[in-house]
Amino acid sequence: MRLRRALGLILAILTTVATAGSVEDQIRFRQSAYSFMGWNTAKIKNQAVDHPESYNKDQVIAAANAISAVANSNLLDLYTPGTDQGTGWKPSHLKADYFQKQDEVKELNAKFIKEANELQAVAATGDAAAVKTQFGKLGAACKSCHDLIRVRD
Amino acid sequence: MAMKVTLKIWDWPLRLFHWLLVLAVVGAYVTGKLGGSLTDWHGRLGGLVLGLLIFRLIWGVIGTTHARFLNFFPSFSRLAAYFKGDWQGAGHNPLGALAIIAKLTVLLLLVGTGLFANDDIGFEGPLFHWVNKGLSDKLSGWHSWLVNLMLGLVVLHVSAIIFYQWVKKTNLVLPMLTGKKQLPDTLAARSIGPVSPLRFVVALLVAILVVWGVWSIEFADYLTSLISKVMT
Repeated sequence: MRLRRALGLILAILTTVATAGSVEDQIRFRQSAYSFMGWNTAKIKNQAVDHPESYNKDQVIAAANAISAVANSNLLDLYTPGTDQGTGWKPSHLKADYFQKQDEVKELNAKFIKEANELQAVAATGDAAAVKTQFGKLGAACKSCHDLIRVRD
Repeated sequence: MAMKVTLKIWDWPLRLFHWLLVLAVVGAYVTGKLGGSLTDWHGRLGGLVLGLLIFRLIWGVIGTTHARFLNFFPSFSRLAAYFKGDWQGAGHNPLGALAIIAKLTVLLLLVGTGLFANDDIGFEGPLFHWVNKGLSDKLSGWHSWLVNLMLGLVVLHVSAIIFYQWVKKTNLVLPMLTGKKQLPDTLAARSIGPVSPLRFVVALLVAILVVWGVWSIEFADYLTSLISKVMT
């Protein structure tokens, strides 16, 4: 049993290195991706929700494009077995049971991509009110995944 | 057989506080769970809870008899008497008082951590910028953990009310609506006096000022955006 587990782990590590880099790299890429998205969601929140008088169509488009690009970059590739442990820029916050929730994870990831793409489309129209509504939907998608797979501090 | 008398025990600001708190806490819980664009409403309802708590703390000093903390503080001797079956009184019994203090404390902690919280999506509590991100993350974690504690206390609270209704045949909900409770005349308890409007206004104003102070930057921004909307 222990041997099988050890072999499984070794296999997992080898696959990991081949597809997405070391565990540390994956965690680092993940954290960078979300942090970069955070910069962009903050801009949209600020301009479309908190201070609509400061709405700048081009900046919102740029931010929505960036979010959509990250969402469509196959982030799930960075979640190979073993990446619930380890440290990137900071320790991984992935719940250990992430790997047993793959159906839900795929569903939520698809939802996240859909809402991000929709936000990109809405931003292009320059309709601030519609961006605000769609930003809320994207936020809900973010939260549903945070609630499922992220360890809280 | 003791005669029953109907006495006024809960003053109207206390009752208003209680039911507004129910609405605000339920609303905050639901909006917090749903997230998305409701997260901002979660923050606003948290502000309402803060104001209500501040009001209650002041009212617990300057309110009418059974609203005052000193009059129902669950001291050791009161608790001991209660468990021996010797306690008599018209307001909160010592065990209920313990539950009240627990609820107020947990809600204060929830609001206190919420003020500094962030959700890594688009929400930042009004005092988020006072602390660094790491501490805010930690306080956000405590905030969501404290929700479990609050749910436990709510379940306890509602269970106690059901227990009193079914087993002790005492309705606790109606008195919290009307302020009036039927009590044995052997208690020799009296109805509370009238509510002092001045004291009520003082408690209300302090509560509003505290919430306003905490949210002042946001509030000022909101006012400017409202004015600019009216101007254009």
